[in-house]
Amino acid sequence: MIKIKAKDVDVFYGKKQALFNISLDIEENQVTALIGPSGCGKSTFLRCLNRMNDVIDICSVKGEILINDFNINDKSCDVVRLREKIGMVFQKPNPFPKTLYENVSYGPTIHGMAQSKQEMDEIVETSLKKAALWEEVKDRLHEPGTGLSGGQQQRLCIARAISVRPEVILMDEPCSALDPIATAQIEELIDELKKEHTIIIVTHSMAQAARVSQNTGFFHLGQLIEHGSTDKIFKNPDNKKTQDYITGRFG
Amino acid sequence: MNKNKEQLLNKRYKAEQRFRLYGQSAIFMALLFLTIFIFKIFSTGYSAFQKTWLIVPVTFDPELMMLEQNPSKEDIQDADYYDIALKSMADLDLNANEDQENELKRMVSYFFEKEIKNELLNDPNLIGKTKEVYLTASDDLDQVFKGNYPRDLPEDQRRVSDYQLKIFDQLVVNGKVESKFNISFFTNADSREAELAGIASSFMGSIFSILVCLMIAFPVAVLAAIYLEEFAPKNRFTDFIEVNINNLAAVPSIVFGLLGLGVLLAIFQLPRSTPLVGGITLSLMTLPTIIIAARASLKAVPPSIREAALAMGASRMQTTMHHTVPLSMPGTLSGTIIGLAQALGETAPLILIGMVAFVNTIPGSPMDPAASLPVQIYIWAESAERGFVEKVSACIMVLLGFLITMNLFAQIIRHKFEKKWS
Repeated sequence: MIKIKAKDVDVFYGKKQALFNISLDIEENQVTALIGPSGCGKSTFLRCLNRMNDVIDICSVKGEILINDFNINDKSCDVVRLREKIGMVFQKPNPFPKTLYENVSYGPTIHGMAQSKQEMDEIVETSLKKAALWEEVKDRLHEPGTGLSGGQQQRLCIARAISVRPEVILMDEPCSALDPIATAQIEELIDELKKEHTIIIVTHSMAQAARVSQNTGFFHLGQLIEHGSTDKIFKNPDNKKTQDYITGRFG
Repeated sequence: MNKNKEQLLNKRYKAEQRFRLYGQSAIFMALLFLTIFIFKIFSTGYSAFQKTWLIVPVTFDPELMMLEQNPSKEDIQDADYYDIALKSMADLDLNANEDQENELKRMVSYFFEKEIKNELLNDPNLIGKTKEVYLTASDDLDQVFKGNYPRDLPEDQRRVSDYQLKIFDQLVVNGKVESKFNISFFTNADSREAELAGIASSFMGSIFSILVCLMIAFPVAVLAAIYLEEFAPKNRFTDFIEVNINNLAAVPSIVFGLLGLGVLLAIFQLPRSTPLVGGITLSLMTLPTIIIAARASLKAVPPSIREAALAMGASRMQTTMHHTVPLSMPGTLSGTIIGLAQALGETAPLILIGMVAFVNTIPGSPMDPAASLPVQIYIWAESAERGFVEKVSACIMVLLGFLITMNLFAQIIRHKFEKKWS
């Protein structure tokens, strides 16, 4: 099943073009990794998918991005509804400077997902459990989220993202600020989450892409050089550039 | 080669030491000036918190007061106290001639008649009896008692005559002069008589002005800052506005006073000399300070927080109101306090809108005429009488205390907020 279909996406920062003609299909309930050297446009593409580029004044996006066959670049698309369906986890853990509970309940609150305190408690508990954080924090839900360790903070951000039951989760280098143990925990979590969510992850680590993803897209200088199943990209790429990048000859 | 390196190293150490020395001497200088300033203010001002009383026996003679037998409360209220008041002062020296009796009368405040009346109103049984009553000493004798008066000047250069001094010294020897805490300094409005003048009017005037200023400047400034920082498109027009807000902060305060005079008083016909007009004028002055502080603290909120909220599907408004604004509040509040503290010490614009008028009533609302603390300092500093010298310093002390309390309050609020958001 194709969940997201990008067709001829161009992105401009002012006059400078950052992405050229990207067309990419993303499979439902699988992990798609976007790899490539720094500045290749993979994060820019990721941010197109929940229209986070809107925030940047000089950024303009052209082309179609169909999610469930609906073009999110269309004028009739409501950004708030879109972002409710498409969650995002950022490079640096960015919990709100509020309590753990408030962090996780924020999304359900603004989208009116819980009718009672009890329901909210349940949402918070399931989200934290799914993010494999519940056991560590269940006794201190009302302490500030910023007091957690880096890895815990990132899992808190994941719990916050899944609290609104998004269909898609975008992850922008979620492990780049974490130590190997925390990284392993997050990777395990991603494997678990793909059962219910479609996951797109931008990563610098090719090893990580190989470990967690089923599909991989390779970006270079704003172009999508090659995409396909992770096995194929890593073992038998069609393109020479992909081959060079995978084997560490540049990047 | 090696020697050269060592020389360089030594040079660096010395430069560092010199730099430390400069810094330390700068701090020392600042502390020195502060100490001198505070010492000067306190040493001249502390005596204003004491007031000198003469203890004078008063005979409540019903005949002199034109009182019938068994007078009612109203009768006592309406009785004539001038004669017994005068008599009790004159009785201090039984051999006094008429001129000397006049001088005796001037040893106490002109308020002495009322003080005697209040004594009787408190205890009507005193009729026909004699009681020692506390009478406010005149401001000159007050200064004499506090040791601030140049007694050795020739008599014709003093306001206190030798005769008055003689009687006063006798009273002192007999223990009939007492110094007590000066409550009236805090409860009285301004007065032409130094011994009766107080800061109640100007204190209330300052409070009302600051409240009006806060209520206008804070919401306007915060809304302007939020709009400019979070919502307004970045273009030439908003740049132009930004530059002009900064310009506004640099406008001399007296110009705002002229604006208040020309617009608020002349065009809108608001009542002059009132904290309402003063507060509006001051709010114009405080506005840019708060806007700049609020924008700076909004800018200081990390963009990752905004992104997090937006990515959760919060609208721009929700992102701003739920996250950015609360996080920026401590900075905004401290900017507001700085702005208000500036406004509190502002004199020039208030003089222009007439808050310099002599006000001997305590204002009950921002619509009543009032002075303000800095203007009060200015008024008293201009007065010739010796009794006002200590009042000026005392008023400065009150103003400083006010400012320190405000800052403390701001710190407490800040602390609380920051705890919540950390």
